[in-house]
Amino acid sequence: MRQGRHLSALRTLWIVAILAFLYIPIVSVVLASLANTRYMRFPHRVWTLEAYGDALSSFTTWQLHSISLSIALSVVVLSTILGTLGAVAFARYDWRGRTWFQRFMVLPIFFPQPVLGLALLLTFTAIGIQPSWKTAALAHLVWILPIVTLVISVRFFGYDVAQEEAAYDLGATHVQVVREVTLPQIWPGIFSGILFGFLLSWSNLPLSVFTSGPDTPLPVWLFSRTATNYSPLVPSVAVIGTVVSALIVVGAGLLLWAGRRLR
Amino acid sequence: MSRTGSPGPWFAAPVAIFMLLCFAGPILIVTWFSLMPSRTFELTAAFTLENYVAAISDGYARPMMWSLLGAAITTIVTALLAWPSAIILHRYAGRWATLVSALIALPIFISESVRLFGMSVFMMPRGGILAGSLNAAFGIEIGSILNTWNAALVGMIYIHLPFMLFPLLLGVSLIPADRIEAARDLGANRWQVMREVELPLAAPGLMIGALLTFVLCLGANAEAAILGGRAVTVITAAIEQRFNYAQDWPMGAALTVGVIAITAAIVLPVLSRLDLNRLTKR
Repeated sequence: MRQGRHLSALRTLWIVAILAFLYIPIVSVVLASLANTRYMRFPHRVWTLEAYGDALSSFTTWQLHSISLSIALSVVVLSTILGTLGAVAFARYDWRGRTWFQRFMVLPIFFPQPVLGLALLLTFTAIGIQPSWKTAALAHLVWILPIVTLVISVRFFGYDVAQEEAAYDLGATHVQVVREVTLPQIWPGIFSGILFGFLLSWSNLPLSVFTSGPDTPLPVWLFSRTATNYSPLVPSVAVIGTVVSALIVVGAGLLLWAGRRLR
Repeated sequence: MSRTGSPGPWFAAPVAIFMLLCFAGPILIVTWFSLMPSRTFELTAAFTLENYVAAISDGYARPMMWSLLGAAITTIVTALLAWPSAIILHRYAGRWATLVSALIALPIFISESVRLFGMSVFMMPRGGILAGSLNAAFGIEIGSILNTWNAALVGMIYIHLPFMLFPLLLGVSLIPADRIEAARDLGANRWQVMREVELPLAAPGLMIGALLTFVLCLGANAEAAILGGRAVTVITAAIEQRFNYAQDWPMGAALTVGVIAITAAIVLPVLSRLDLNRLTKR
């Protein structure tokens, strides 16, 4: 059994190494944010939260967040409505042409995002639409809507159509069936769709970078400041932006939980 | 179930129309632009193939090669890292499996720019997280690979590992444990079990993961910009340069069409083989 123990230790080590690889850069951002010097000189001589104070009192931080939030909320609303309808066609009904619809729907997921962003930028400029956060939201939607549709579809595949028929037999109207039978059943899928849509839009760089024009969402600002104009403000804004998205997700989860308890 | 009177098409219509307008539409317009004479901003001129000819003679094959090479290397390395991880998580991790899977998925939802920035402060020479810590703790001076093509590759592998791991975990979970037992009982060794049983059964997951990673890397440019210090020009950077600085839309469009064509040639055959109903219905 000696060899078995070695193997097991090796397996644990492998997984720990993979996790370390994934998380070292994230931890590095936090470590970098705890300095007050113009240049990165690790280990810091002074460990301080000053940069966070500067970030919070800076107008830019708030503006970046409000632009990212506008984009993400528009994406969530539109992708949830369209995605739910799409999922019904994707998974609930069997119809002629469904296979084609399914393939067409997943295509944008397997498409290089920066290339999609550039193609959209060219199209917007060619037809005379000024790029802004709205065009960025549209660009996000092309990529996020298929994902949200898939997420909700997974829920529909496990859905028993007989329940709807039973409700109709008992005299329920169309609206009642949707509200009392269908929606409660697929609601977990819709909720995951909302979370996916929000987080993927909030964190997106490759589409925003080409399509947001003069409005700068958080990831685009971080990208440009990393390349050219570093200061401790950059890592602190990165941490704040990530924490804000986590808080919004946790908040949504709590709201859902509270809503369930009240009912 | 009756297929003709189904309301399916009505539910599909809004999404399908949106996708036609905002996905198929731009691809069409870019293709159209690529057939216009150089440096025009209108779609009214007669079609010409000069941009495609110029793209090859002007040396744009090189950025395309860098992107293809980067995508190929990243796909292979992430697959090699993800395969043992998926097997370990599926077979041995037990109650830890869910937690570890969640931890692997989490970074997908943290912005690429945050994570690449983190990678760059980690790699930075002298005062970087790694170099600074080693120097302070052991007095060791190390160099840095930051601003090289290798750093960009590490960044691509880092960003795309979760995209490979997740489909692979799904694929590996499709392998029935008794099938492996049976192969072992019949005298198969570890290598034979992997080649004859595990790989074929996990193939759909591996295919999706490889496809996703390859295609995403083909367009990736943030890694080369932040970590690679633009040591090499990847194709997306070349296209952006044509669009923005050179103001040559038709040429940029021709390069874009090139990337789209390569993507389609890789994605469409694989996608037409996958049964989406079987994969999502679990």
